[in-house]
Amino acid sequence: MPYRGRIVRFLGYAVLAGLLGMSAFTLYLDLRVKSEFEGRRFALPARIYARPLELHVGLHIASGDVEDELKDLGYAYGPREAPGWYVRADNALDISVRPFLFADGPQPARRVRATFDSGTVSALTDAEGRELALARLEPVPIGGIYAAGNEDRVLVRLRDVPPLLVKELIATEDHNYYTHHGFDPRALARAVLSLGSQRVQGGSTITQQLVKNFFLTPERTLSRKFTELVMAVLLELHYGKEEILETYLNEIYLGQDRDRAIHGVGLAAQFYFGKEVQYLTAAESAVLVALVKGPAVYDPRRHAARALERRNLVLRETKEQGSLSLEEYAQARGAPLGITTRAPTGTSPYPAFVQLVHRQLRRDYDEADLRSEGLRIFTTLDPRVQGAAERALAKRLAQFDKEKRFGEPGLEGAIVVTDPQSGEVQALVGGRDARYRGYNRALDAARPVGSLLKPAIYLTALSDPGRYTLVTPLDDGPFVWKSRGAPDWQPANYDRKFHGMVPLRTALAQSYNTATARLGTELGIDRVLATVQRLGVERELRPLASTLLGAAELSPLEVAQMYQTIAAGGFRSPLRAIREVTTPEGKPLLRYALKVEQAFPAEPIYLITAALQGVVREGTAQGLRSFLPPEIGAAGKTGTTDEQRDAWFAGFTGDHLGVVWIGYDDNRAARLLGATAALPVWGDTMAALAPQPLALPKPDSVEQVWIDPQTNLRGDSQCAGAVELPFMQGTAPRDFSPCASPAGAVIDAVDHTVQKAKSWLDRLLGR
Amino acid sequence: MRRAVALLALIAAACAAPQPAPVGEAPPAPPEPAPAVKESVAIAGLMDSARSDAAAGRLAEAAATLERALRIEPRNPRLWQELARIRLQQGDFPQAESLAQRSNSWAGGDGALRAENARIIERARAGQR
Repeated sequence: MPYRGRIVRFLGYAVLAGLLGMSAFTLYLDLRVKSEFEGRRFALPARIYARPLELHVGLHIASGDVEDELKDLGYAYGPREAPGWYVRADNALDISVRPFLFADGPQPARRVRATFDSGTVSALTDAEGRELALARLEPVPIGGIYAAGNEDRVLVRLRDVPPLLVKELIATEDHNYYTHHGFDPRALARAVLSLGSQRVQGGSTITQQLVKNFFLTPERTLSRKFTELVMAVLLELHYGKEEILETYLNEIYLGQDRDRAIHGVGLAAQFYFGKEVQYLTAAESAVLVALVKGPAVYDPRRHAARALERRNLVLRETKEQGSLSLEEYAQARGAPLGITTRAPTGTSPYPAFVQLVHRQLRRDYDEADLRSEGLRIFTTLDPRVQGAAERALAKRLAQFDKEKRFGEPGLEGAIVVTDPQSGEVQALVGGRDARYRGYNRALDAARPVGSLLKPAIYLTALSDPGRYTLVTPLDDGPFVWKSRGAPDWQPANYDRKFHGMVPLRTALAQSYNTATARLGTELGIDRVLATVQRLGVERELRPLASTLLGAAELSPLEVAQMYQTIAAGGFRSPLRAIREVTTPEGKPLLRYALKVEQAFPAEPIYLITAALQGVVREGTAQGLRSFLPPEIGAAGKTGTTDEQRDAWFAGFTGDHLGVVWIGYDDNRAARLLGATAALPVWGDTMAALAPQPLALPKPDSVEQVWIDPQTNLRGDSQCAGAVELPFMQGTAPRDFSPCASPAGAVIDAVDHTVQKAKSWLDRLLGR
Repeated sequence: MRRAVALLALIAAACAAPQPAPVGEAPPAPPEPAPAVKESVAIAGLMDSARSDAAAGRLAEAAATLERALRIEPRNPRLWQELARIRLQQGDFPQAESLAQRSNSWAGGDGALRAENARIIERARAGQR
């Protein structure tokens, strides 16, 4: 007896312990479900936008470029129900602009008609023909900063999801969703019985699927299945059907874009159909529901037939559940897939630029916040400029590869393009493969800059107008620099010749090394380096004579900063890639304001700019002639380093500043010159952008004087090859060249200018 | 056009400065016009909105709008000046001074504009002391 009694007692304890254990486990799961579901915030990547295109009368842009922008935005051609389409009409574009939440507030959807005339917007009206001052398109999304796994999503509320999408989902995945308590024994039984046969619905309810995605690892064991079931029931116990459904619709994995994972119906609608989820048709939402079963298997871009078949299955199930009339079913079934064609972009089509944005952001934000808070980052990238730069680099590198055959790894290159007035970075190419997200040469390749440093030397000289003008003779004879503790430095010219006495502007235009080295050491290396620093280069350069001829190593971005200050008339603005940061709701968080600081007086900047225009007009950058018309008056400088390891070109027009570097990553001799390798890339880029002429405002204390290039004395327009050069008042040569008679020269000059002035005024006044 | 402006500037300079006196009868040179006397519709609209923001004390918004306008017309000295004025109101004196100088660089012969820039610069310097 006592024996049996003990067994009973033991069994009793065991059952009790089991029950206790079970309840403890359930309690634990319950806590987890509650805390994780409630504490759960979807990690929302920071979303990065290009600059918005602002249309206004007078904007220089071809209608084709606007169309490209619209295509980038996923606008459809031809009228649709939802905004986000356009049509061509004669020389105009009719655009149905989508609503967008800008950093300065929401902008509603609107209709815009832009008329074009020879590459310029000539009229801008709304649908009723009323004049519009400005029409801002929404900015092109250019990527994000993602959490681990590169999960991307656009959160949607259930009320914004078309009811039909929900019905299709329920018909296909979980018939009894609204009646079961987290798991569906009937569906489970059906699934088990029909194992192996082709059935639409699996055994898992929507709730179970959500639990699986949310809380559990993907192992497939019985105990895990059991845990999933308990948690699904617990979830249903605590939360309503609508709440669970909304979370599911945002969580569900629906596709892959290279390294970016597409989650939720909000993003999937954009990714596959280029529209907001509320505008999806029955057929389109069925495509998304079809993807639930297997985003790779039913990828409508890669396996259209399979996707179509599964979509029609979804439509049929929906019809059979009574959620779709026969008519609607027939119509939806007959519709094409309707997927937008788009190149896969992954986390960004412009990884190099996004890297710059990310670095600038990291100074102000936590990495974790950037990856999860859904910040909206408005940047300065101009897709049109970026496209032009990418194409120019790719085309020329392919050409050089063919000509040189240096083997792998191939030539590399980098480009930075900025707006000279504001310092905004418009384009950044980090290497030959613009889609590659790795080594970013535009930011991280510090290479010897060669002659690109010369303008700093000449600017230092021209800042002392009592001693130096554009025609001051410089000695380009043999030059040796001796300094204690360093070997003698004996620079040579590229053509291995000495050119005797040459005017200052010619020494720069022809990039003579000996004249420049002599000038630089005369001025003092420290003074030149102080100029470089004032131009905006923060990196410490070694105070050596060889630094003057470009032994200094800078990245293309640093070079751009340096030339920026010259291009902006002596006003230094830190290069910026970001304009504003807002919360997902549009509340402004941070503005990266335009900052200017006058680093140099206007006069020497005006003179050095004229000298850099001379480089293009008659110096080492003459080759630009075949890219840009002379009226553009582009200013620039070529750079080539020892053994031609690096080829550079830096220059600017009225509205773009560009820096191009070409070379090998491993520092091999590239045997390419700045003028023949980097310059064509720059020329192609700028030519594609139809740049504005360079027009620096002339300071009052600067006068233009005709100079006879034979004698470097005053001449007049009648002297052969005479050039008009700027001088600080009172510093121009006093003596006249034999080719000009002193009195005649002045009369002639005045008559000439008055005539010109008149015709210019006439044009201005429309006479 | 650039050449024409340069030449026009040359006469303006020739008339203003103690130059070698031109021989002969030169007609009176017209004063150099400011680059953008009349704003385009787009700029005028943005300027209005910036001014009403500024009047309501929304200085950050006003500055953002002016920057937006400057992207469209970077050579408009009035926009640079308006931005300088906003920075002055915000107590950002170094920027106020620099922006007024930037405005001057595009001001051409617009004496009134230059005088106003001089006032802004003076107040900005006073603020920095």
